[in-house]
Amino acid sequence: MQENYLAKWLNNELSEEELAVFKKSAEYASYEKLIDVSGTLKAPDFDVDKAINDFKNNKPQKDIKVIKMNPMRKIFRIAAAIAVIFVASYFYISTLDESVSTQYAERSEVMLPDNSEIILNADSRITYSEKNWDKERNISLQGEAFFKVAKGQKFTVATEDGLVTVLGTQFNVENRKGFFEVSCYEGLVSVMFNGQETKLPAGNSFMAINGNVLKTEAPVNTIPSWMSNESTFKSIPLKYVLNEFERQYNIEVKTQNVNLDQLFTGSFSNTNINLALQSISTPSQIKYELEGNNVLFYAENAPK
Amino acid sequence: MFSSLFKTNSKTVFNYIYYKFGNEEKAYDVVQEAFVKLWENCAKVSPEKAKAYVYTVANNLYLNVIKAEKVRLKYANKSNDTSYESPEFLLEEKEYKEKLDRALNSLPENQRTTFLLNRIDGKKYAEIAEMEGVSVKAIEKRMHLALKALRDQIEGI
Repeated sequence: MQENYLAKWLNNELSEEELAVFKKSAEYASYEKLIDVSGTLKAPDFDVDKAINDFKNNKPQKDIKVIKMNPMRKIFRIAAAIAVIFVASYFYISTLDESVSTQYAERSEVMLPDNSEIILNADSRITYSEKNWDKERNISLQGEAFFKVAKGQKFTVATEDGLVTVLGTQFNVENRKGFFEVSCYEGLVSVMFNGQETKLPAGNSFMAINGNVLKTEAPVNTIPSWMSNESTFKSIPLKYVLNEFERQYNIEVKTQNVNLDQLFTGSFSNTNINLALQSISTPSQIKYELEGNNVLFYAENAPK
Repeated sequence: MFSSLFKTNSKTVFNYIYYKFGNEEKAYDVVQEAFVKLWENCAKVSPEKAKAYVYTVANNLYLNVIKAEKVRLKYANKSNDTSYESPEFLLEEKEYKEKLDRALNSLPENQRTTFLLNRIDGKKYAEIAEMEGVSVKAIEKRMHLALKALRDQIEGI
């Protein structure tokens, strides 16, 4: 008889011979009786519904944990986060300011919502809010631009150095490193510079170099010269002239033994580089050498 | 989810502890406590492990409470109303059942639990082994010894 044969017998795991031997044994009848009677035994009644109710009354109030078992919660969270990002970015983008910029040797014309016109000179950038344009006409400017402002509310051009305010007019604003110039061609322009307001009637200019206000003569033309493809200067230090030259031709300028503070009066073409180089070098009594994208200006009498 | 787990398992947990305790009230309390433990830790216990977790907790609770307490069991009988038997037979049956009750009470706890889980709840050896956390072979051994001991005691050997 194998090990634990009583357990095997109960589980019908005895072989036929083993079963036959066991059935012939004296104790077989008493085991059968034991199994029979124990089969009628019963455990005490257990009321599952009552137990559940008791449990619900007893259980600690930790409802959050139940929700945690729900895998949808995670998905909902991610979905909510994505929705928030979309909505937020929509609002953010819709309130973002419009921006127009030009590279070296590039020009751009911008039509504003109220038909005001801006012409951007090379390497310049304006930003404005298209959405709020009806409420306030604010433009921030880096570089140089000519404005033809339609009549209407106050029109403000903010630059790093000064604030220009007009009602309806045509004017040019140039703001380069350390150089700030406003020329009025029509109407009346108000210039805020270092906390001082200057009224600029038509045909007048306002210029400041490195924070010093300089008296300048009135512009002769009705539009800035750069708009007719010419850059014009009147008693301007040579370094600003060369900077402008770089911008107009997208070229790199190097100098050798040249006094960059000497004043330059004259103009250069924005379309013909050789003509422009001559226009700059001859009155300044310097020489130049053009090599691909580089120009070297050097003093006439100095060794090259 | 939780209440279905409760419904399907609470009765067996109750019986399981009752066979060990021999006390309905205590077994009932253990069931409640075991499921509260599961509830509190359901974030840590995966659904597949929940059943085994409840048995382990119930068994630990039982061990904590019982220590040296003496077990007394009484088993209600299913077949009281089968009255077509002769009075002598019924008396004999009654006597036999009383003997069986006494014999069950004197069994070691683990043999009694194994025997009753099998006889009353119809649990397979493998299932009992899982509940008790031992091998199937150990359960077979307990069953074998339980049968032997019960017979010996009932027969007065």
